[in-house]
Amino acid sequence: MGGYIVRRLLQGVGSLIGVMLLLHLLMTLAIQLNGNPALAFFGDRVPSKSQLAAVEERFGLADPCYDQVGNPCLGPFVQRMGDYLTGDFGTNHRGREVTDIVATAAPNTLRLFVIVTLTWLLAGMLLGSVAARFRGRAPDHSIRFVSILIDAFPVFVMLLVYKFIVTVPVSNWMSARFGGDSLPALLFKPSFSPDHPWATVIVPGLLLGLAGAAPFLRLVRASQLENYNADHVRTARSKGLGDAHVTAFHIVRNSSIPVITAVGFVFAEALAGAVITEGMMNIYGMGGVLFNAVRDSEVSVVIGVVTILAVVTIVVMFVVDLLYAVLDPRIRYD
Amino acid sequence: MTDPSTAAGIAAQSDPPAPATRSLWSDTFRRMRRRPDVIIACVISLFFVVVAAFPGLFSSTDPQRCDISESRVPPQWFGGEHPFGTNLHGCDVLAQLVHGARPSLLLAFLVVGVSLVIGLVLGTLSGFYLGAVDAVISRVLEIFMVIPFLLAALLLLSLFRNVDFGGGELAAILQPAIVLTAFGWMGYTRYVRASVLETKNLDYVAAARSLGASDLRLMFVHILPNAIGPVTALVPTSIAGVIATEAVLAFLGIGVRPPAVSWGIMISDGAEWFTGGFPHLLLFPLGCLLATILSFVVIGDNLRDALDPTLR
Repeated sequence: MGGYIVRRLLQGVGSLIGVMLLLHLLMTLAIQLNGNPALAFFGDRVPSKSQLAAVEERFGLADPCYDQVGNPCLGPFVQRMGDYLTGDFGTNHRGREVTDIVATAAPNTLRLFVIVTLTWLLAGMLLGSVAARFRGRAPDHSIRFVSILIDAFPVFVMLLVYKFIVTVPVSNWMSARFGGDSLPALLFKPSFSPDHPWATVIVPGLLLGLAGAAPFLRLVRASQLENYNADHVRTARSKGLGDAHVTAFHIVRNSSIPVITAVGFVFAEALAGAVITEGMMNIYGMGGVLFNAVRDSEVSVVIGVVTILAVVTIVVMFVVDLLYAVLDPRIRYD
Repeated sequence: MTDPSTAAGIAAQSDPPAPATRSLWSDTFRRMRRRPDVIIACVISLFFVVVAAFPGLFSSTDPQRCDISESRVPPQWFGGEHPFGTNLHGCDVLAQLVHGARPSLLLAFLVVGVSLVIGLVLGTLSGFYLGAVDAVISRVLEIFMVIPFLLAALLLLSLFRNVDFGGGELAAILQPAIVLTAFGWMGYTRYVRASVLETKNLDYVAAARSLGASDLRLMFVHILPNAIGPVTALVPTSIAGVIATEAVLAFLGIGVRPPAVSWGIMISDGAEWFTGGFPHLLLFPLGCLLATILSFVVIGDNLRDALDPTLR
């Protein structure tokens, strides 16, 4: 087990360096093809040569390799890796530290994640278990139909319909009925408000979570179905255990292993969904920051934020792999 | 497999057909044919494929010819000049819908087709040779997996927004196609690798090897036709996924390039007019998008069930 952890850890570090190299190469190519992002700093004004040089110096774009198409620019890459090791993630064009930006934005994204995760876990486990329990009958068919329907609804369409059609009338009605600052009115506000970070994030989180629950509930259903016909379940039934007991301890518990591995992938998916959700509902989170940084071609912010997100994803996948090894005694990595 | 693209893909891959393969596919076909929802889904997806291929059949109006004086005409249904009405700029909604089908579907088929080929080749190589080849492919795969698909698309398409690919229909979708393919091949590779690992130790492969078959022949004639089953079930679902992603990208303004129209652009333009008294601007493109995605998802779902040996 110890050897496995070390090997897996090294692999994680390796893919992290790979991700950063990939991002660096792509950003470099974009700068070389698109022109110098330092010019964006000046807006409409035409800077003098020394002004431009000073700004380039400040944003780490001074290296001449950024003007040569096809040059991989490995020098700045090595330098940036060194900076990251000392905890220096650079600044944006206005001189604000990337770590500072992330520290303000991350709590909102985490709030969204808590609600998303709770939603898909509860909805997925519950509906998946019901569908497996009543396999081939009406509840099963209707649950599967709903899951396909959710699959067909892209998250952004769901949010768009919610934002433009549902929020305003419902929110107005709730305000008139319960008062402007009451919980029901806040729940349906069309955009995020920093004064009420929890209430305004619940409904977007629910929608995003429901979208993730559809594939998840099918996974739950499939892995429970496998267990319904397994020998140990037949044994449990034949020795007279109650239906509820067998379902809870012999079926649900045994079928939760593939479910846990899904967490890693759902996490990565939720991260992408968060970008859209945060963008559309004006939530000031990691996704929103990234979206704006990409639009303003702030190289250091984009690479810094994506690196942090990649680290989180790699850590989550690592933990999931370890859990998998701990939970399933049949799996041994030696 | 009643979907034309899938059928063509399967035909191309299972050639020359081994007897066992043929029976699996004909069995699958027979199971699919009996489901009414599959028939309906196939008819709908086929309809939109025809719309995308021959837009002239359904509307003779030019989607780019807009008359601002005829802004926001409500649907006049059949007989009127604008059966589905016009949008804010006075463009004919029916013509835009019909011409908007092509970029979405072309992009979906292109991305899924190319990703599938990449996945088949890399997955077979890494499953067959293991060792160093597998290590390299798995590491690269992991790097691409760590960056979420949509995040990468957002990043790359904004970065290369100003790079010009020239005019023409293909150029409008080339950039999203490259990006979506670059971050879409991993799933197929993993599936193919897993089933190649399973297949390559079967007796008939050992027999072919002892008869002196080359590695290439073993991989593509003996192993791949048997290992391709689980991957084909992914194809219709992925097509639906790409169509949905294209709509998201169009909504963010970085998908199909103007002046090409797409359903995603129409949805994002029309959404704000829904409560303003012009619901048709949202409902028509939304209906087309959902019908297309839903039909591909239904086909994929049933194909997966039909190909699953444990459910037989």
